[in-house]
Amino acid sequence: MTRFLHIRFWLPLLLVAGTLLLAPLFRSGQPPLQSHTLALLLCGTVALSGYLFTVIAQPEKF
Amino acid sequence: MTTTTRVMFPRMPRGPRQERHYLERPRQQGLVQRAVVASFRKLDPRQAVVNPVMFVVWCGTALCLLLTVEPRLLDGQAGAPERGFNALISLTLLATLLFANFAEALAEGRGKAQADALRRTQARTQARRQGADGSIELVDSSDLRRGDVVLIQAGDVIPADGEVIAGVASVDESAITGESAPVLKEAGSDVAGSVTGGTRILSDQLTLRITADPGKGFIDRMIALVEGAERSKTPNEIALTVLLAVLTQVFLIAVATLTPVAGFLQDAPSVVTLVALLVALIPTTIGGLLSAIGIAGMDRVAQFNVIATSGRAVEACGDVNTLVLDKTGTITLGNRLAEEFLPVGAHSVAELAEAALGASCFDQTPEGRSIVRLAETLGAVLPFAAESASGIDFSARTRMSGSDIPDGSEFRKGAVDAIKGFVRSRGGEVPEALDQCFERVSRLGGTPLAVCRGADVFGVIYLKDIIKPGIRERFEQLRRMGIRTVMLTGDNPITAGVIAREAGVDDFIAEATPEDKIAVIQQEQKLGKLVAMTGDGSNDAPALAQANVGVAMNSGTQAAKEAANMVDLDSDPTKLIDIVTIGKQLLITRGALTTFSIANDIAKYFAILPALFAGAGLEALNVMKLASPQSAILSAMVFNALIIPALVPLALKGVKFRPLSAEQLLRRNLLVYGAGGVVAPFVGIKLIDLAIVALRLI
Repeated sequence: MTRFLHIRFWLPLLLVAGTLLLAPLFRSGQPPLQSHTLALLLCGTVALSGYLFTVIAQPEKF
Repeated sequence: MTTTTRVMFPRMPRGPRQERHYLERPRQQGLVQRAVVASFRKLDPRQAVVNPVMFVVWCGTALCLLLTVEPRLLDGQAGAPERGFNALISLTLLATLLFANFAEALAEGRGKAQADALRRTQARTQARRQGADGSIELVDSSDLRRGDVVLIQAGDVIPADGEVIAGVASVDESAITGESAPVLKEAGSDVAGSVTGGTRILSDQLTLRITADPGKGFIDRMIALVEGAERSKTPNEIALTVLLAVLTQVFLIAVATLTPVAGFLQDAPSVVTLVALLVALIPTTIGGLLSAIGIAGMDRVAQFNVIATSGRAVEACGDVNTLVLDKTGTITLGNRLAEEFLPVGAHSVAELAEAALGASCFDQTPEGRSIVRLAETLGAVLPFAAESASGIDFSARTRMSGSDIPDGSEFRKGAVDAIKGFVRSRGGEVPEALDQCFERVSRLGGTPLAVCRGADVFGVIYLKDIIKPGIRERFEQLRRMGIRTVMLTGDNPITAGVIAREAGVDDFIAEATPEDKIAVIQQEQKLGKLVAMTGDGSNDAPALAQANVGVAMNSGTQAAKEAANMVDLDSDPTKLIDIVTIGKQLLITRGALTTFSIANDIAKYFAILPALFAGAGLEALNVMKLASPQSAILSAMVFNALIIPALVPLALKGVKFRPLSAEQLLRRNLLVYGAGGVVAPFVGIKLIDLAIVALRLI
């Protein structure tokens, strides 16, 4: 059960879901590989930003 | 200072500090090799994630490596030239990560090497455990538990930390303290009643009650602390981590939103260029060196034979405003010597010497022995048979000691007030000459000890205090740093005033009791000040716990060591001043490198921004006249990577400490590390750019 609550379980799922959702936005004039990579890059940047917010909120844990 | 009776230790005179062996200094070569290996291991994302700045660099490196393998991943038009540039940027970013990891690994390695030196003192040994019925069984030291009773004989290694419950023996503690002179341990004594596992008994035998379970002894805790196993971020480090994370967040958002802006200018930069810009903007220098600075601070304290229980304690030293110091041993040499006998009333010097000898024959303190020596020099003979008499120990409450003999005579020596009270309680009268002698000795900066036999006052012993050489200059330095010094002494106000003036302390508390020590600390803390103090006795434990920085002497009691947040293995109270200096140095180093890190980002803007927007009319910003946009970006990245190992020695060694006020230090550091941090990268990036062009890397 604890496995399902862990960030290591949710993060890849969220990245994949975000990539699939955002990829169509980058599809204009881009092949699928590039659009999906751009979507993944955007999701990754948001995740990185979320991580930095966590550090700011709970610095003693890092 | 402990107020219980001091036992005479048959210690050799302490040699100069450089002659004693400190914790073994790690071998540099092995350290570097181990640090190189560890810096690769630290690339593991689970370890990298604890450092927000370097984790962003880690993510950027991973992305650039992907784009090196497949440059068309994000841009269908990208080709071979981009792959070469991406590879160079990826390698530079990887080097940045490795250099930062190396700095941390090197600092950790030094701590681990010291832990190994401590661990070598922990030999497993056999112990004779005494059962409840008195039977003895031979057990392994790892089987001993708190509360077990063991017998130790000459030549045995003490199997675990314990309290002496019977016997007297000399113990070699050099494995821990580096001090070769044996120390006397005996039951019923505050300071001399505790022993540390790993030390060796040299003579006689002791019965010990074990006070720590396996793995929880003094050395185990010290090893864990030195290794950094229990290292947690200090408040200052946490504040700096938040600042660095905020800056990184701001720049991440700025760089992420740059693409649409650049698209509007029809000059969209590549993702690798944006990663390079992000890494140049975020404070990687301090991000990479932050933990190394903290670990090195602990290490510097350990090199001084002081074990800090946390980085917080070392850091608190840097903010200390008030030092509470015992006079004896810290400001004056520990051994006061009897200089002169001053008789009062009809008594002669010889009579006073005889009474003083009678009152001091059981006193094994250096002072007591010096009184006996002076009296014997004057031809005095003990006026009773020592075997038939009983000794009266000194205590903080009675402030006197002496001997009782079977015929009812009571020989006493002690503080003049205490002796006056004693004489009056026995129906005697105090001669006026006693006060004159008291004032005379006090004005000389000496300690007057009155001597009486029952209700009869014989006179005063002049104990001479010797102020430690150079202590006045140390206090002057502390004053320049804005640190106030308070001297605590059991002496009368006149003597205390004279010593305080000679030593140059800011304030003093005379006739101080253990309660006064905690009161003065609380009073200072109410004024918002941070207080540091030293102590060794159980009665110092509350004050050590109350102080922001409490340094316990290793020769002290277990209670004192547990209450304090630092333990001085050499038991040298003067070290408090050095520890404060190290704490200040730690904070100054962190501040200086943060200033440098943020300041040297400025030059990187001038390198990367014109390169990013070459087509948008920002060429005027290319003040360094860098060869090409790509060489400009690469030069900035190479400089960014190289500056970390260049600053590793400074991070580990610390910025040179100067006894200046906070304002003066800030001004100086802004000039040296702020202005230097702005100028150095301009020169460095230009030189690297010239080298890149010369080597035709781009």
